[in-house]
Amino acid sequence: MPIILIIPVLFTIIAWWMRKPMLNNTLMILHALIHIAMVPVLYFMPDFPWPIRYFTIDALGIFFYLILSVLYLATALYGVGFLKHPGRSHHTLTATSTMMFVFSMDGAFFADNLGLLWVFIETTTLASALLINYDQTRHSLEASWKYIFICSIGIALAFVGILLLFVAMPPESSLTFAWLVEHAGELSPFWLKISFVFLLIGFGTKLGLAPVHAWLPDAHSEAPAPVSALLSGALLNTALVPILRTMPVMQAAELLPMARNLLLLMGLLSVFIAAVFIVRIHNYKRILAYSSIENMGIVAIALGVGGMALNAMFIHLLGHSMIKGAFFLITGNVLRLYGSKDYREVKGLLERDSRTGWLWLAAFLLLSALPPSPLFFSEFQLALGMVGSGLVWQLALLLVLLTVVVYGMARVSMSMTMGRDNAERKITLPVYQWIIPALLLTAGIAALFMPGFLRNLIEQSVKMIGG
Amino acid sequence: MTDVLVILFGVSLLAASTTNMLGKLIRILAVQGVILFLLTMSNITEFNWVQLAFVALETLVFKAVLIPYLLSDMIRRNNIVREVEPKVSNFFSLFTMTLIFAFGFLMGLWSGKNSPNVHPLLFGIAFSSILKGLFIIITNKKLITHLMGYLILENGIFLLSLAASREMPYIVSLGVSLDILLSILVAGLFINKIKSTFDEEDIDTLSDLKD
Repeated sequence: MPIILIIPVLFTIIAWWMRKPMLNNTLMILHALIHIAMVPVLYFMPDFPWPIRYFTIDALGIFFYLILSVLYLATALYGVGFLKHPGRSHHTLTATSTMMFVFSMDGAFFADNLGLLWVFIETTTLASALLINYDQTRHSLEASWKYIFICSIGIALAFVGILLLFVAMPPESSLTFAWLVEHAGELSPFWLKISFVFLLIGFGTKLGLAPVHAWLPDAHSEAPAPVSALLSGALLNTALVPILRTMPVMQAAELLPMARNLLLLMGLLSVFIAAVFIVRIHNYKRILAYSSIENMGIVAIALGVGGMALNAMFIHLLGHSMIKGAFFLITGNVLRLYGSKDYREVKGLLERDSRTGWLWLAAFLLLSALPPSPLFFSEFQLALGMVGSGLVWQLALLLVLLTVVVYGMARVSMSMTMGRDNAERKITLPVYQWIIPALLLTAGIAALFMPGFLRNLIEQSVKMIGG
Repeated sequence: MTDVLVILFGVSLLAASTTNMLGKLIRILAVQGVILFLLTMSNITEFNWVQLAFVALETLVFKAVLIPYLLSDMIRRNNIVREVEPKVSNFFSLFTMTLIFAFGFLMGLWSGKNSPNVHPLLFGIAFSSILKGLFIIITNKKLITHLMGYLILENGIFLLSLAASREMPYIVSLGVSLDILLSILVAGLFINKIKSTFDEEDIDTLSDLKD
C-alpha cells in the first residue's frame, strides 16, 4: 500500500522539477506499469511491505484498483502518442495531473474511513479539472468550470452527510467503516436516514446520477479521448465506493429498504434521462456520456435490488469500464479522422478507416449488451433479480428505456459507419490507435470467463456489501 | 460567549444579503473566519498547542487571511466590476434570508429534541449558512460571487462540525481544509482564464454546452 501512494507523489515531484516531455511520458508509463504490477501484490500480500494506518486492503478496493490499472495503462499508452501538446509546461501539467488523479482514486479505493475517503474524492475533482481543460478552448473551459463547481458543491453536501452521521453517533466513536458497521445499532436512525440522503446526493453528483448529473455530459465530451476514458471508466466507479461502503451500515441499522428505494428511484431516473437525451443529440461523445449516465443508473438499480443483483452489479461495472474506456479511445480516432464531434458530419467510417469502423461497431454491439458482452450477463441477472424481488413494472420500464437507448445509439452508429466516404485525402492512423481499444474490448469479453481470482474478488465484495 | 459569537455569525449572513459591493462580501468572509476561530477556541475543553496551531491554521490563516487575499487579488487582476450584480433585489434576498433563518431555527429546535449532543442555536445558524451559500450561488450570475457563495457554504459546514461537537481526526480536517484552499486556487486559475477567453465573467456567457 505505501508503494501505491509514494510512487505517484515522487514521480509528480520529479516531473514538476524537470519539465521534460520525454521524462514525463516515461514516468507516466512507468507509474502505470507499477500500478498494474501491484495488483497481485495487493491480492496475495496485502500488508507488503508494511500496513499503514487509515487504509485497509480488501476485496472491494482491489476490484476497483484492478479496473483502474488496466484502464490507466491503456490510456497512458494511447495518450503518449495521441496528445499533441502546445508546450513543455502544458505537457508537464497534464502528466502530473494524471498521476495525481490516479493517486487520489487509489487512495479512495482503500481508505478505511469515511472522512478520508471524502478527502480523496474531492482531490480527484481538483486533479481532473485541469485535464478536462486540456484543449484550452472556450468549450473545454466552460466544461471544466462546471465540472469543478458542481462537483465541489455536491461533495460539500456529502460532507454535510458525514457531519450528520456524527450527530447520529454516540460519544466515543469513530468514522471507520468497521466501527460504523459494528455499532450501527447505536446510531440514531433518524439522523442516519438524513445523513444517507446527503451522502447519496453528494457522491451521486460525482457518480452522475440524475437529477444531479449536469456536469457529466459536458466534461466527458470536452475532455480529450484518453481523459474521457479514464473519467468514464474509473472516476465514476470511484464515486460509487463510498455509497457501496455505507450500504452495510444501513443494513446493520435496518434501514436497508429506505436506502434501496432511493437508489432504485435515482437509477430509474438516470436511465430515463439518458434515454430521452440519447435519441435527440448530435454530438457522439455526448451520446457516450449519456450512455455512462444510463449505465451508472443500471448500477444504482442493481444496488437497489440487492441480493443476486449485486453480483450482476460488479460484472456490469467491470464490463462497462472496459467497453466504455475502449469506446472513448475510439472516438479519439474518429475525431482525428473527421475533425468533428457531430455524427452527421461523420460518414462512411468503414471506408475511410475500416479498422476504426469495425471497432466502433464492435464497441457499440458490446455496449448494447449483445452476447458475448459481459453487460448481457449482468443485465440478464439483474432482470432475474428484479423479478425475484417482485419489481416487475420497474423491470418493464427499464427494458423499454434500454430499448430506446439502444435504438438511439444504433441510429448514430449506423449513420456513422455506413455510407460512402467522399474524402480525397487519406489519413492513416498509427497502429496503437486501434490495437489498444481492441485489446480493451477483448479484456471486457475475457472478463466473462472469470479467472478464479476475479470471481473470488467479486464474491468477497458482494459479501462485504451485504449480498 | 458561544451564543454571542454564533449570533454575530448570523448577523454577518444578514449583512451579506444587504451589500452590493464585492469588497464588502470579501470582508464579511474574513470576519466569518475570525468568528470561527474564536468559536472553536471557546469550545475547547483542554488546552494543547498542536490543536491551537491547527485550528489557527484552518480558520485564521486560511479562512480569514489567505482566501480573502486570493479573492481580492482575483478581482484586481481581472478588472472585475466591483458590484455584485445579483439577479434579485436586495429586499428579496433579505426577505429570503429571514425565511432561511426561520427554517434554520426550526431545524435547530428539531435537532435539539432528537439528539442530546447537538447545540441547537449553532445547528440552526450552520444550516442557514449552508442554505445562504446555495442561495447566493443560485441568484447570482458572476463567477466570483459563486465562489463566495461556495465559501459561505463551506463556513456553514465548518459551523455544523462544531455543532456536532465531535473532533474530526486531524488527518481528515487537514485534508478538508487543504482541499478547500486548493479548490479556490484552481477556481481562481479558471476565472483568470475565462476572463481572458471570454472577456467577461458572467455565467451567461458560459452557456454554450447544452442539449
